[in-house]
Amino acid sequence: MAEPLASPGTGYEVLENEPPELMGRGLRVGTYLFAGGTAFFFLCFLFAFFYLRSLDNAGMWKPKGVDASIPWGTVIVALYVASALFVRLGLADHVAGRHREWRQKGVVALALGLAGLVVQAIGWSHQGFGPADGGFASVYFGWTAFLFLFVFGTMYWLETVFATSLRYRNTLTGQPAPGEASGDPDRTAHDIQDPLSLVRPGLEALSFYWTFLAGIAVLAWVLLYLV
Amino acid sequence: MSTMAVDVHPPVWRRLIGFNLLTGVILGVGGWYVGWFGAHAVVAPSLSFFGDIDFNELSLVLAYLGGVVGFLTGLGFLNYPLARLRGYPSSLREKETQGVGRYFTLCTDHKVVGIQYLWGIGLFFFIGGLNAMLIRTELLRPAHQVFPAGTYLTIVGVHGSMMMGMMTSGILGPFANYLIPLMIGARRMAFPRIEALTFWILMAAGVILQTTIFWGGFPTGWTGYEPLNIEAYQGMDCYILFFALVGISMTLLGINMIVTIVTMRAPGLTWTRLPIFAWGVLSTAILMALAAPVLVCTLSLALFDRVVQTNFFVAAQGGSSYLYENLFWVFGHPEVYILALPGFAIVLEMLPVFARKPLWGYRLAVAGLLGVSLLSWFVWQHHIFVSGINGDLRPFYMLSTELISIPTGFTFICGMMTLWRGNIRYTTPMLFCLAWFFNFLLGGLSGVFLSDVPSDVTTHGSFFSMAHFHYTIMGGLVFTFFAAIYYWVPKMTGIQLSERLGKIHFWWMFLAFNSTFAPLFAIGFLGQPRRAVTYAKSLQFLNDWVSVSAFALGLSLLFFLATFVYQLAFVKKPAEANPWASRSIEFQLPSPVPVHNFDRIPVFSSDPYGYGEGPAPSWTPAGAPAGRD
Repeated sequence: MAEPLASPGTGYEVLENEPPELMGRGLRVGTYLFAGGTAFFFLCFLFAFFYLRSLDNAGMWKPKGVDASIPWGTVIVALYVASALFVRLGLADHVAGRHREWRQKGVVALALGLAGLVVQAIGWSHQGFGPADGGFASVYFGWTAFLFLFVFGTMYWLETVFATSLRYRNTLTGQPAPGEASGDPDRTAHDIQDPLSLVRPGLEALSFYWTFLAGIAVLAWVLLYLV
Repeated sequence: MSTMAVDVHPPVWRRLIGFNLLTGVILGVGGWYVGWFGAHAVVAPSLSFFGDIDFNELSLVLAYLGGVVGFLTGLGFLNYPLARLRGYPSSLREKETQGVGRYFTLCTDHKVVGIQYLWGIGLFFFIGGLNAMLIRTELLRPAHQVFPAGTYLTIVGVHGSMMMGMMTSGILGPFANYLIPLMIGARRMAFPRIEALTFWILMAAGVILQTTIFWGGFPTGWTGYEPLNIEAYQGMDCYILFFALVGISMTLLGINMIVTIVTMRAPGLTWTRLPIFAWGVLSTAILMALAAPVLVCTLSLALFDRVVQTNFFVAAQGGSSYLYENLFWVFGHPEVYILALPGFAIVLEMLPVFARKPLWGYRLAVAGLLGVSLLSWFVWQHHIFVSGINGDLRPFYMLSTELISIPTGFTFICGMMTLWRGNIRYTTPMLFCLAWFFNFLLGGLSGVFLSDVPSDVTTHGSFFSMAHFHYTIMGGLVFTFFAAIYYWVPKMTGIQLSERLGKIHFWWMFLAFNSTFAPLFAIGFLGQPRRAVTYAKSLQFLNDWVSVSAFALGLSLLFFLATFVYQLAFVKKPAEANPWASRSIEFQLPSPVPVHNFDRIPVFSSDPYGYGEGPAPSWTPAGAPAGRD
């Protein structure tokens, strides 16, 4: 008689101590897929750009005076790209075991990304045209607004990875109090064995996604500011 | 002793305090008002540099967004992100309670989420069905009789949106969430909190759609076409927010499913041993993860046009309504297969069990599922054949649309060959599967008329196309949804459903369904357009026939609901662990399945379809300590 696959008597303790590799793998694959979804999301703007540009309905694709400011756009995209670059460099430090250096680069990356968002918000009010001024203006404001939202979310993600590194910088064993993040003070064991070891895969996934998003920002810069 | 089990039972009033549905509703209402007044008091002055903003629209949109945020906060979805923001480490599970209470809160057990989905989706399916009854009531007479034309259009729109929006998760929500981890030998979904989030977002979306009636409704039907969209009352915003939230839920659900199947399969479960249901879920999830973001973006642009006066879809200002039509159908046609593919997979999963034969052409079936998933990206312009697209594009899209019948045919071939010379058991789930062959065949064949340009020019926008998609969606998805209920609910609840009542439900529904939708082909050919509240007097007999049949169809669903609730709540006949003598792994587990799924992670040695090929496979325990995957 084969051993039963499960018995009703066993409880939640079976779920504790899952090896972190599983979650790490899921994070990476999930990030690739999310990047795919993000690409399809921004493809709508790419399609809208070329479609409306080719139609030029009522001659209102880009009326006179509707030109996005190249200096503003360049500064914003440069800040995004620089932030993504610092995350990449920080990841290299983390892989090499230089955790202090990673944290330094992480905080710089966070500051640069947030600065990019602030400059973007100011930049909108200094463009000299509004969202109602034709097809290009619509694409410009729509694309940059959503890029803003996605970058904001990425900055949140960066902050969480950085904050965990910072909070447990002196913890050698990798064992924070069980249930600290789960809202369950009664929990006596981690559901992920050594949850701090997930900082690395988290950082790898973040670095990939932020680089990908910065690539979309560069594409937006070329189309919305230079073309 | 379990570390998570709650042994003490505090009084009811105490259990109501905390993060749960009640708190979610209270904070949702509060968030709605914060959004409404905040838009006027804070957002309006700070956005004055934009110029032409419609602050009534903006207030409504922010009110609903505030409501959604409040609702999710009340359920406890912000606790973990805020803890992570403060640097606390990752964890997989929320504090979980036992008993009925866990169904009304954020729960990270995939089995609880599956059952939440079953009831949640069922509720909105019921509301959508009631709308259908109202539509058929109005159409009992050729002239206006019950509703003004605008109200009628809103009812049609809510019915279509509810069915097309909520039912996208009709199979993946309840059944994939519940079963995929079991079928692949895992203890959880890849991202349990996201899994729970997809459900509660969907519920918020459903409520938002219902409130459209308070804001004038919307006249566009489920497609939200421009330029009608931008000219509509504020009720249109409810439609946009509803479908955008559905899109977000679909995207996250799709990603979660793919990651789970790709990364969490147990040892030995190679791709060629994966249950065909999991392949169907994977094919669907790919479409969800990639197509739904297009929907979210498109609807966001429509919202921008309505709120901040952008001109994406306003031709006089440099936009184009065709842009909307194109983008919508880039999502919209994959959406059709998001609805259909899980039905294919359910049929292929059940046929071997009830024919007592191995699945014929496993690899061909997988190729069919993936082929449909791929080709569905290249057919969208057949929806706008008569909207003035470039004539040179028509042949390509006609051909690509017809091409998709080839991988669809793979499913039919594999199904029919599995039945061939099988020892067929006509159980209730099997009857629903067999009905799928009949319904989907009619739906597919009538689709050829809509993919061919010459016949589409005549039938487009008529009741013919409505009959076609009801045969594919209701005949394909909803029938297999019921097959899944009768097949898997005994496993999910531990309660056996009556075969006799199930067969009464089946025959009643099958006959009423065909009596309702088959005449619509004729009505369409005779020229009755969709979404029109009046029609020619000569069509009254056929319309009355359809209405009466539709009421019978509605009653069959009420019969199901009544008997289903009665059996679950009162009869409670215990289900055997493996009532269908299935070789699939989920049926080797106790009913209902324990919280941890498996004592030890199983090791797979074959696919689950080897009927008549010796003893059932054994899932030799890996020998690793409990808790390790």
